[in-house]
Amino acid sequence: MTSNSTKVRTGEWAARWADLKYTLYLLRKNPLVMTGSIIAIFFIVLSLLANVIVDPNLANPTGYPEFGGQYPFERKFVWNKDSIINWGPGIRLYEGPEQFYLGTDNWGRDLLKMTILAIPVDMENAVIITVGAAVFGTLIGALAGYIGGVVDEAVLRTTDIFFAFPALVLALVFAAMIGRSIPTLRLALLLVWWPPYVRLMRGQILGEKEKGYVEALRALGAGHLRILFRHIMPNSIYPILVQATLDFGGVILTFSALMFLGFSPSPSLPELGNLAAAGYEHIFEAPWLIVFPGLTMLIIALAFNLVGDGLRDVLDPKLRR
Amino acid sequence: MKVYEYVIRRLILMIFVLLGVSILVFYLARGFPSGLAPWAPYIHPKMTEEQIQDVKRSHGFDQPIHIQYFYWVRDILHGDWGLTGIWAQGRPANEVFFSHFPYTIELSITAIILTVAIGLPLGVISALKNNKLPDHVSRIIALTGYSTPSYWFGFILQLVFFYYFSLWGLPYLPSSGASGMEGAVARVTGMPVLDGLLAGNLEYTIDAVRHLILPAFSLAFISLGFLARIVRASMLEVMRQDYITLARSKGLKERVVVYRHALKNALIPAVTLTGIFFALLLGGAMITEYVFAWPGVGQLSLRAVFQGDSNFLLVYTLIIAAIIVIANLVVDVAYIFLDPRIKY
Amino acid sequence: MREKNYVLEVKDLKVNFHTYRGEVKALNGVDLKLYKREILGLVGESGCGKSVTALTILGLLPENAYIIGGEILFKGEDLLKKSKEDVRILRTNELATVFQDPLTYLNPVLRIETQLIEVFMLNKKLLRQAVIAKKAHGKNVTFSSLLSWKNELASESSDLKVSRAEIKKMAKHLCEDILGLVKLPDPKRILRQYPFELSGGMRQRTMIAMALARRPAFFVADEITTAVDVTIQAQILHLMRELRDKMDASTIMITHDLSVAAEIADRIAVMYGGNVVEVAPTVKIFRNPLHPYTTMLMKSIPNVKKPVETLKSISGTVPEMINPPSGCRFHPRCPFAMDKCRKKRPNLIEAIEKHEVACYLIGG
Repeated sequence: MTSNSTKVRTGEWAARWADLKYTLYLLRKNPLVMTGSIIAIFFIVLSLLANVIVDPNLANPTGYPEFGGQYPFERKFVWNKDSIINWGPGIRLYEGPEQFYLGTDNWGRDLLKMTILAIPVDMENAVIITVGAAVFGTLIGALAGYIGGVVDEAVLRTTDIFFAFPALVLALVFAAMIGRSIPTLRLALLLVWWPPYVRLMRGQILGEKEKGYVEALRALGAGHLRILFRHIMPNSIYPILVQATLDFGGVILTFSALMFLGFSPSPSLPELGNLAAAGYEHIFEAPWLIVFPGLTMLIIALAFNLVGDGLRDVLDPKLRR
Repeated sequence: MKVYEYVIRRLILMIFVLLGVSILVFYLARGFPSGLAPWAPYIHPKMTEEQIQDVKRSHGFDQPIHIQYFYWVRDILHGDWGLTGIWAQGRPANEVFFSHFPYTIELSITAIILTVAIGLPLGVISALKNNKLPDHVSRIIALTGYSTPSYWFGFILQLVFFYYFSLWGLPYLPSSGASGMEGAVARVTGMPVLDGLLAGNLEYTIDAVRHLILPAFSLAFISLGFLARIVRASMLEVMRQDYITLARSKGLKERVVVYRHALKNALIPAVTLTGIFFALLLGGAMITEYVFAWPGVGQLSLRAVFQGDSNFLLVYTLIIAAIIVIANLVVDVAYIFLDPRIKY
Repeated sequence: MREKNYVLEVKDLKVNFHTYRGEVKALNGVDLKLYKREILGLVGESGCGKSVTALTILGLLPENAYIIGGEILFKGEDLLKKSKEDVRILRTNELATVFQDPLTYLNPVLRIETQLIEVFMLNKKLLRQAVIAKKAHGKNVTFSSLLSWKNELASESSDLKVSRAEIKKMAKHLCEDILGLVKLPDPKRILRQYPFELSGGMRQRTMIAMALARRPAFFVADEITTAVDVTIQAQILHLMRELRDKMDASTIMITHDLSVAAEIADRIAVMYGGNVVEVAPTVKIFRNPLHPYTTMLMKSIPNVKKPVETLKSISGTVPEMINPPSGCRFHPRCPFAMDKCRKKRPNLIEAIEKHEVACYLIGG
C-alpha cells in the first residue's frame, strides 16, 4: 500500500515547521488578516524610509532657515490652496506655490510631511515598549511559573497591584514624577505593560510543566534552565506573540495619548499625539490638525490589531481543525 | 470552601493590594521633587515661620519618606485625607473627589449600557455567521473601535455633532460639560440625569441627557469592540459543543437552539468581563472627560498629576484600586452563581 | 412484498468532508435498509463511517460536510431532497437520536426539566388533545397511552379552550411519566436537577427519554453503551428491547462492540471504510460470515470457553480517508484480494436468502 504523503522531516523542529505551515495557510485564507498585514508592512516600510522621503529639518523647532529662523506665518492653518471649502472664519486661502495635501499646522509646516516624520517616532516607541514589556514580563512569568513557591506568590501579588490600576493612570503618575523625556515615557509605559505577559507566560508554564515530556527530560538529566528555555518556552510562545501584536496598537495609542495630554518634551516634536495636541485649541478652525494624525494612528493600530486578532483566531487550539 | 469564606479571603488579599498600591503611589507622588509640596495647602502667607514648622511637624512633612508614610496612614485612619492644592481651592481631598465622583459614575453607567447593547449583538452575529460577510463587517467595526484613539474620537464627534450640525442648521449636541442648566435642580445624587428625574424637571433631564450622549458614546465605541470579540469567541466555542447537536437533533428551531441553549453558556465570560470593564471605566475615563470637559474625577486626576498634588492622587488611586479589586471579586462570585457546576 | 415493511432505505450514499488537508471521503456509497420494528446493529471500527451515516440521515452534518450523492428514503420520500426546515420538523416527531456521552450532550447550565419539556412542547397539538382528553373525556393520560394514539389524533378536534398553563402542566406530567418509563427513580426530583448531578447511567436514560418523547418511527442509538459500565449496559439494552416491543419503532444501534450487537440486534450490518460490506440476521452473521473482513472480525473475538490461544488480529491499519484505497477499500488487508478488487468496488447483493454481502468472492 502506497500513500501519497510527501517527504516528512523528522524530529521536534519538523513538527513545528508543519505547524507553522498550517498556520500560514490559515492566515492566508483570512482576508482581514491579509489586509491588515499589507497595511502594517506598508507602515513599517514607510517608517524606515520616512527620514529619507521627507527632510527632517522641516520639523525644526527653531524655524526654517530660509525665513531667518522664523516660521512662515502666512502658511499657518492653511488648507489646500485649491480647495474652496470654507472651514470657518479666520482661515485664509494660501496664495503661495506649495501644495499642501493635508493642510498646515500652527507653525506653517506641511502636515503631510510632519505626519510622515511622526510615524517612525511612534513605531519605534511601540516596538521598544512592546518588545521590552514582552521580554521582561515573559521572563519573570516563566521563572515564577517554573520555580513556583514563594517566588511565584511574590510575583503574583506584585502583578495584582499593577492590575488594580487602569493603565493610563499609572503611566501618568509615573511620567509626571519621573520626567518628560522620551526615554522616561518609554520606561513608564513599559512598567505599565509588563504584568499581562507575566500572567500569560506563567499560565502557559504551569500548563506545560505537568506534561509528560518535562518529566522525561528531567529523567534524562537535563538541567532546569535548559528545560525551561529550550523546550518549554518555544512551546508557549504563540499566545505571547498574539498578545504582543495586539498590544502594539494599544501602546501607540497610549503613548500618543500621553503626548496629547502634554507630556511631550517639546511642543513641535513630530509625533502623532503631539501633532493632534497642537490642534486642540484650534479644533474648529483647523480640524485637519487633529483629524489626520488621529486617522493615521487609527489605521496603524487597526492594521496591527487585524493581524493580531486573526492570529489569535488561528492559533486558538479549540478552533483549529 | 463555602462562598463567604472565599469572599473573606479575597477581601483580606484586597487589603494587601491596597497597601501595595498606596505605597507605590506615595513614593512616586512625594518622593520626587517636581510635585506640589504636600504642606502647601496647609499654609498661607500670613503664617509665621513657627506656625509653618508646627504644621510640618504635625503631619510629618519634615520627616524622611518612609516615616511620612506612617503619618499619612495615621491621618487616613482619622479621616483626614489631606488637603488639595490651590487648583482645587485647598479643600479636603476626599471632599473634592466625592463631589465629582457622581458625574463619572453617570458617564460610566451609560457607557456600559451602550457597550453591552451594541457589543453583545455584534459578537453574537459574528459568531453565528462565522467567516461570512456579517462576521467580517462586525469584526471591522469592533476592531476599529478598539484601535481608535479616545481623544481623537471625542473630537470627531464634537466636530460633527456640535460644530457642523450647528453650522448646517441641524439640531446639535453640546460639546462640553454635563449640564447647561447648572443649579436649576436640587442636587440629590449628583448625577444630572437622575437629579432631573427625581425633581420632575423634564427640561433639565433632557438637557442632561443631551450632554451625556457624545461622551458616553465615545467611551462605548472603544470598549464595545473588546466585548464583541469576547462574545464571539465564547459563542463559537459553545456552538461547537455536543449539547448543541443534541438540541438540534430534538428538532428545535435554530433560533431556539441559539437563545435557549447557546447564549446562556456563552454569556458567562461576557458578563464577568462587563463587570471589570465598568470598574476600569470608572477609573480610566480621563481623556474622554478631558476632551468633553466633563466634571468627573478623571479630569480632576489629570490636573492633580500636572500639579503634582500627592494628596489628591493618593485618594484617587486608592479608591479606584479598591473599586477595581471589589469589581473583580463581585464578578468572580457572580460566576459561581451563573455556572451551576462551579463549587468553591 | 417486503417493500412495504421498509421504514428507511439508504441508497448509495456518498459524503465528503472538506478539511485543510484535503477531502475526506467518509461515505463511499452506503446501502442500508431498515425494516419496521427491528433493531439493526451497525458495527465497525472507529472511523468507518457509522456515525456519519447516522448524522446524515438526521440532517445534522457539520458545515464542512458535502453530500455528493445517493438517496435516503424515509417512508417513500428522499430526505436529501427536502428542505432543512422539513427535516427539522421530521426530527420533532419521527426521527430521534441518542448519543454516546451524555455528559457532553446535555446542556450543563439548564435543568433536566427544561431540556425534557421542550421536546414535548414542540408538539403542542398533541398536548392540546391530551388535555382535552383528560378534561372532556376524563381519560387518564400517561405517556404510554399516548403511544397508541398516533392514529386517533388526526380525527380529534374540539372547540374546548385549552390554556397555555394547562398545556404546560400536561407537558410536565408527561415528563415525570416518561422518566418513570425509563426506570428512573424519583422523577420529580430529577427534573429539578442539573445534568452533572446525575450518574452516568441516569443521564443516559434521560437522553433516551428525550428521544422517546417524540414517539419516533425511527431511532438512532450511537454508541450508547460505550460510556457506561456493564451493569448499566445490561439495563439499557433491556430498555431498548422493551421500547421496540411497545413502540413499534425501528432502531439503528451503532456500536463497535460486537457482543452488544449480538445481544440486541435482529440484524447486523458491518461497515468498513465508508461502505456496508455485509448485512445479515444476527445469528447467521456470527455462524456464517461471508465477507473476509467479517470473518476476520469474528475470529478475533476470544472465545471464553476454549483454551487460551494467541489473540488474532487483522493485519494492517484502518484506511486513511483522504486517499483511500481504490476499488474495494478492504483490498490492501484482504488475504484473498484479486485484481478486480483493486479496480471497482463490489456491490452489495443478496448472496444467500436475507444475507447480503459486497465481495467478488461471493458473486458480484
